[in-house]
Amino acid sequence: MAAAGTTPVVTPWWRDRRWIPWIVQGGVALAVLVVVAFLLGNLVRNLTAAGLLLSWRWLGNPAGFDISETVLPYDASLPYWRALLAGLANTLRVVVTGLVGATLLGTLVGTASFSSNGLLRRLARVYVEVIRNIPLLLQLVFWYFVVFLALPNGRDALQLPGLVLARSGLYLGWFTDPLHLSWAGPHLEGGVWHAPLRLTVEFGALLTGLVVYTGAFIAEVVRGGVASVPQGQWEAARSLGFMPLQTLRRIVLPQALRVIVPGLNSQYISLAKNSSLAVACGYSDLYSVAETTLNQSGRAVEVMLILLGAYLVLDLLISALMNGLNGLVQLRER
Amino acid sequence: MERSVTPAGWQRLRRELFASRTDGLITLVLLGALLALGGGFLRWALFQAEWAVVRVNSTLFAVGRYPLDQQWRLWLLTALLAAATGLTWGLLRGRSWPRNDQLATVLLAGLALAAPLFLQLSLAIQARWWGITALLLGLRWGAGRWGDRLPQGWRRWLPLQWPLLYLLGMVLISGGLGLMAVRPSDWGGLLLTLVQSSFAILLCFPLGVALALGRRSELPLLRWGSVLYIEFIRGAPLITLLFLGQNILGFVLPGGLAPDRVWRAAWVLTFFAAAYVAEAVRSGLAAVPRGQMEAARALGLPVPQALIHVVLPQALRVALPATVGQFITLLQDTTLLSLIGLLDLLGVARTVMANPAFLGKNAEVYLLLAVLFWCCCAALGLGSRALETRLNPNTLSAARA
Amino acid sequence: MTNPSSSASGAVMIEARGVEKWYPNGFQALRGVDLTVRQGEVVVVMGPSGSGKSTFIRTFNALEDFQKGSIVVDGITLSNDVRNIDAVRREVGMVFQQFNLFPHLTVLENLTLAPVLVRKRPKAEVERQARQLLERVGIHEQADKYPGQLSGGQQQRVAIARSLSMEPRILLFDEPTSALDPEMVQEVLAVMQELAREGMTMVVVTHEVRFARQVAHRVVLMADGQVVEEAPPDQFFTNPQHERSKQFLSQIA
Repeated sequence: MAAAGTTPVVTPWWRDRRWIPWIVQGGVALAVLVVVAFLLGNLVRNLTAAGLLLSWRWLGNPAGFDISETVLPYDASLPYWRALLAGLANTLRVVVTGLVGATLLGTLVGTASFSSNGLLRRLARVYVEVIRNIPLLLQLVFWYFVVFLALPNGRDALQLPGLVLARSGLYLGWFTDPLHLSWAGPHLEGGVWHAPLRLTVEFGALLTGLVVYTGAFIAEVVRGGVASVPQGQWEAARSLGFMPLQTLRRIVLPQALRVIVPGLNSQYISLAKNSSLAVACGYSDLYSVAETTLNQSGRAVEVMLILLGAYLVLDLLISALMNGLNGLVQLRER
Repeated sequence: MERSVTPAGWQRLRRELFASRTDGLITLVLLGALLALGGGFLRWALFQAEWAVVRVNSTLFAVGRYPLDQQWRLWLLTALLAAATGLTWGLLRGRSWPRNDQLATVLLAGLALAAPLFLQLSLAIQARWWGITALLLGLRWGAGRWGDRLPQGWRRWLPLQWPLLYLLGMVLISGGLGLMAVRPSDWGGLLLTLVQSSFAILLCFPLGVALALGRRSELPLLRWGSVLYIEFIRGAPLITLLFLGQNILGFVLPGGLAPDRVWRAAWVLTFFAAAYVAEAVRSGLAAVPRGQMEAARALGLPVPQALIHVVLPQALRVALPATVGQFITLLQDTTLLSLIGLLDLLGVARTVMANPAFLGKNAEVYLLLAVLFWCCCAALGLGSRALETRLNPNTLSAARA
Repeated sequence: MTNPSSSASGAVMIEARGVEKWYPNGFQALRGVDLTVRQGEVVVVMGPSGSGKSTFIRTFNALEDFQKGSIVVDGITLSNDVRNIDAVRREVGMVFQQFNLFPHLTVLENLTLAPVLVRKRPKAEVERQARQLLERVGIHEQADKYPGQLSGGQQQRVAIARSLSMEPRILLFDEPTSALDPEMVQEVLAVMQELAREGMTMVVVTHEVRFARQVAHRVVLMADGQVVEEAPPDQFFTNPQHERSKQFLSQIA
């Protein structure tokens, strides 16, 4: 123990509380650096031995494989980067429609849990509890193999107003000429269906699976948000003469949004990442194209970087959008 | 759900379902749809569906291609697990039999009786299942009845049975200690799913806690390191990371040294889940008031001990629901192993369905899998809620008082 | 109740000289504070909020650091040496405004945790001493309850017992009764009074004037990070010298 009084005592550095944090950090950094250097060294050595050192020029080589459906023009002679781009477009297609659909479904089910109808409330609860405990991949293969691939074809196809569900695809009525507002529905010609808008069953199965699954989670977020609005708001609205539905739309939901929007952010990102399971439905999203690219070119590291980078950017975009929305939705307080 | 057919019961029914005209309409529409769908489903399940696919392949679904002559080891493990579960369950509950417990008992007994018959398993196997279920329920009842006679010292060591059982289980499954080795590539079905998820759950937890502590650390290197790791993992779909693990691992390790694909996937699952557990534990840590750490330091406790004895117990109690939620997600994520060619439950299912003899029997198989997963996940959820109540000193002592 | 005779010849327990502290945002919380506390003394520190009184006593057990000046506690210089800091914390106990009891442990476990882990004493012996301490503060029948089941006054008494479990030579009190309902303040002050009578060295930050008059040897008034006045309670409360003291007393009277 140091003597009492005024003689300044030099603290040895290993006991000095100012240096200890830096020693700890230094130790951790050193350990991490050693491990990373080891792994990277092996990586470079093994890649060089296989002749696969990091380069991007191979992206210009012809891909040599087909993609089952694309919105961008593509054929097997085009370079790899075109294939990956087509995959990305497919991913974006299903993610955007999925987000819209899941939000709609989730909001409906979430608000249904506050309905005055006991049966509706319980059904909403059952839907959420069942969906949440079954793996998404299992649900996707179910929708694809058991439902969509089992759809009848031709004249026996499932016909609804403006929508035809057949084994060969989903046919939607749409405007053929926006300027003249001429609308055409699906019609049968020689046993084959035609319509302005045609979606593959792969897309349909993936979309349905994602919407149903994410919808359950969004329903919980919405429910939590509505539940967070104090009971007093409901009571005040009722005493002013509002009907329950009006109360929900005009008074409770805007306040609930403050809690809902941050929760939606994580669900949207989750949906974007889950779209990578498209490979199970035979839909050529970015991941499935990337997998084929890797198998054909052997360029594991580059393909991985592209994949991870693309999904990271997608997540950041969604987060940025939701943060902007969050800013709009937060209450302006004094 | 009991419905007393008293006037009060009818009134309640009317109020809940037919309060207004729109409500009444909704109820009628929903009931109609439910009856139609439910009826159609039951008709299919009982009459049209061909369950032979499940019957014939039940072993595949359960243990994959595990050698037949070594499967007694798995039976032993199942019996030990049933015994441990029954013991723990009984000691937790004591003499009370709440409604959840009654329901669970009925379900278990019913399942044990009905399922082997339905699957037309051999009498020997049926007898084993009945024996195991009887062991579980018997120990539950016995431990509940006589558990409080157990000396306090013994009760404190009882939770130790689980890690010991886990280690013993790994030896039984993979071999060693005089038992013949069974390669991981021969593990499959429910066995593989449970091994993967239990491994990942056990290891991701300490890793997640360490990351959460690092995330809240004041040391910039630790904090940014944790943030980088967590955000990188959270930005990547699991399938890409699994893919990464399978393909890149061969390149980053010195030539020739590449662990089995099964273990590669298990480690990826661990590192993946750790990031999410870290986020859950982080919110738990944030819920512990600063004064707790100050009081512990003022008493002279060094930082590690203050964390272990004061801060973490409180943080983990708060983080428990979210953490168990992550474990449930992890269990569900094991299905992705089928996409990288491993024979987990879903992978076995797809192999079975590729068999020309069982073409088109997708619905039966998927229904079986859905029920299995739902039961496991729901059970985990219930267990977590029970644990929550038990760990909360307020409710626990209220129960004791 | 008259003050116990001040032992002006007692050993110096706390010697603080020229202590200055700045917060990272540039605000100076302590502007050169001096204080000497002898063994057996009860010093009450008072002052308006923001005067730095809590910050000051928290420097005595290194819960707050300081940039200039020196503090010697029970012969140990408070420096950046973690060994010194740990040694000081073993000798100095603290009672907080918010009690800060460990909610996941029983009352008894709250008391036994530190002696077992830090002083490495055998559990049975520590438990016996803990029960004695609980009797001293009047709570021995609550030993197996959880803090959440006790009232505020009971919890603070447990907190005092917990700080005593490490057998400290100095006790610091940071507004111990400010978070209590009025009817529970007296039971806590009674325990503190008893401790003072037994000769414990205490530094107490409080607004309780009656306690100061009855128990304190000295009252220290702090404002704006400095000591304004220091005097025995009789003199301080009836005949304050400094303008700031008069202002403060008129606000709390």
